[in-house]
Amino acid sequence: MTGRLFQLPLLGRHQRTLRVARAHTAQKAPGKTPRAGRRPPLWYAIALPQLLGIPDTQARAAKLALLAQRLEQLSGTVSVEAPDSLVFEARSSLRYFGGIHSLRTHCRQLLQPLLSEWGLPVDFHQAASPTPAASLLLARAGCNLLVHRRENLRSALGRLSVQSLTLPQQRRQQLHNSGLRLLRDVWRLPAHALGQRFGTQFLRQLDQCLGHVATPVKAYESPPRFNSSLEFDYAVEGGERLLPAIEELLERLCAFLRARDLSTLHLQLSLQHEAQAATLIALDMRHPGQSRAPLQLLLETRLSTLSLPAPVCGMQLEAWRFKAAAAGTQPLAGLGAAEGAAAQAGPARIAPLLGLLQARLGDAAVHSLQCQADHCPELAASPTPGDAQAGPPPTLALQARRPCWLLPAPVLLQQHAGQLLYRGALQLVSGPERIETRWWSGQEVCRDYYVAVNPHGMRLWIFHEREGERRWFVHGIFD
Amino acid sequence: MYSIMPTHQTDPRLLSLLHTPGLWRGSAHAATGSAFADTGVSTGFPTLDACLPWQGWPRGALVEIITPLWGIGELQLVLPLLRQLSQQGGNSVWFAPPCSPYAPALLASGIDPAHLYVVSAPATQLLWGIEKALQDAACALVLAWPGRVSHRQIRRLQLAASAGNTLGILFQHGAPRQSTAALRLRVEAARQGLHVEVLKARGSYRQSTVALARGTP
Repeated sequence: MTGRLFQLPLLGRHQRTLRVARAHTAQKAPGKTPRAGRRPPLWYAIALPQLLGIPDTQARAAKLALLAQRLEQLSGTVSVEAPDSLVFEARSSLRYFGGIHSLRTHCRQLLQPLLSEWGLPVDFHQAASPTPAASLLLARAGCNLLVHRRENLRSALGRLSVQSLTLPQQRRQQLHNSGLRLLRDVWRLPAHALGQRFGTQFLRQLDQCLGHVATPVKAYESPPRFNSSLEFDYAVEGGERLLPAIEELLERLCAFLRARDLSTLHLQLSLQHEAQAATLIALDMRHPGQSRAPLQLLLETRLSTLSLPAPVCGMQLEAWRFKAAAAGTQPLAGLGAAEGAAAQAGPARIAPLLGLLQARLGDAAVHSLQCQADHCPELAASPTPGDAQAGPPPTLALQARRPCWLLPAPVLLQQHAGQLLYRGALQLVSGPERIETRWWSGQEVCRDYYVAVNPHGMRLWIFHEREGERRWFVHGIFD
Repeated sequence: MYSIMPTHQTDPRLLSLLHTPGLWRGSAHAATGSAFADTGVSTGFPTLDACLPWQGWPRGALVEIITPLWGIGELQLVLPLLRQLSQQGGNSVWFAPPCSPYAPALLASGIDPAHLYVVSAPATQLLWGIEKALQDAACALVLAWPGRVSHRQIRRLQLAASAGNTLGILFQHGAPRQSTAALRLRVEAARQGLHVEVLKARGSYRQSTVALARGTP
């Protein structure tokens, strides 16, 4: 059974589906299986003639780049072919997405929402073939074709007009005058004669289409900075109405993050006003975010605390500091709820709540307690130098008890007739504990600490200066 | 004492009263008293546990601790709970404490400060934060010093606590006479420790006073 060709039913040109031009059944010699590594690549081209209607080339390029960003979810190699097309390598993604037809569905699902949002027709031309040049040619000509094998390229391309090649006007005219209308006509002529008449550039294009010469493909690299904006048709007042726009921007951001396997720690949303400077909302996250819902919650919370000075006519979302996305740990399915919770316990689990509190109350509102091995009571509660997350907090083996509450600064104790007063007369319970430290730093701590009780039952940590004015201070409350 | 059992099925006024969501019947809880017992977390004080229908702190509920002053030892009541939570790796969030908690002291008491977060907020935003924290299952314990709280606000916080299955402890000076908190304790300093008076415990008629010795952890 060698080389049996069969023709699949060809669909009409205006139906936006791919036709299989000619599919070989695998050419199998007995005892020999085709190796996957030798399969030719498949280049999937998408032509969007509706983009040509946009007069501004920069805006067009920006739109094409946005579309390319979406396509990066389908393939590792996406190329932007200005002015109106995109090409991506589909062979490596075929198995993952379950075949070319499923890939086509994904492609449509990714691109159509964007196109409809821009108010453009949602249909586009698409073609796939072993060479990027041929795919582009087919797609731009509106032939929704799927060509699997290189040998079939000639017949598939033969129907196209020679005018679909990118050639200077003079060359086009020359071809037309020679009576060459279709590529099929060109292929009937000897190659070296063609080269002499129409130039090597022309010949090279044909060779690239047929795969005789490799086509360099410049893979699209999305910018490391995320910057996306929306302009409203009319100014919007109030926070609530901004939410759909924020959702859209965050959706773009998340597509961006997923495509690069990144997560972000910092967002900046600027709300543009007609005649005033933009309102900036900077969001620092405790926990790197990759999915839309938590980010949206944070932004909405922050927005709810703002009073906008003027109606908003546009917004822009920027993110430029990224981290590699880290997949969180999930409890094993079989574990009980308690064990599952224990596996997930700790800082990572509570991060969304803390992020939410921070978004509304301000970045300084939430803090965790710090600890340092130092004899000076104030410094022992200051941040550990270096990475606080590494290992258990350093401690000193303390002989005496420390109070659970430490006053922000020691409070001078009043004295009356030799009696110390703090909401009543104080009685010393235990002490002294002598603390002498920091003599090398010029801020010497030289104190005798006592535990005292007042008539209300408060147990206080008080100290007596050993030098200078020998004053008494209260420094902490036990519990 | 009289029983309302024979009449409540006939009297429509009583019937409508019984359908009020804010009204609980002690007898309903008393009947399931044994099922209640294993729902609590031990307070760490056996005498106090014995007074409480949950044999400890309730889960997913709001507790009010009423003191005449800050710093008379009310934190003693929750230190064993914090220690237990710290061993399990549970998170606790402290809202607007009167001073900054001192990490070395907590560490010396066996409480890992890494799982402890302090939130400071203006009074107008504080209740919002407490409610969010209570609703979040990731947060095992909320300690809050919210200042004056109305009856309705307490009810809202109580609902949040049961939604998130989080224990919320409010420290207050004076408290409204009515409260939907599951447990209300009044703490006063005594010579050798603390006097804890159980003002209200949901599902129990007992109003008892316990003397606790001040522990030296």
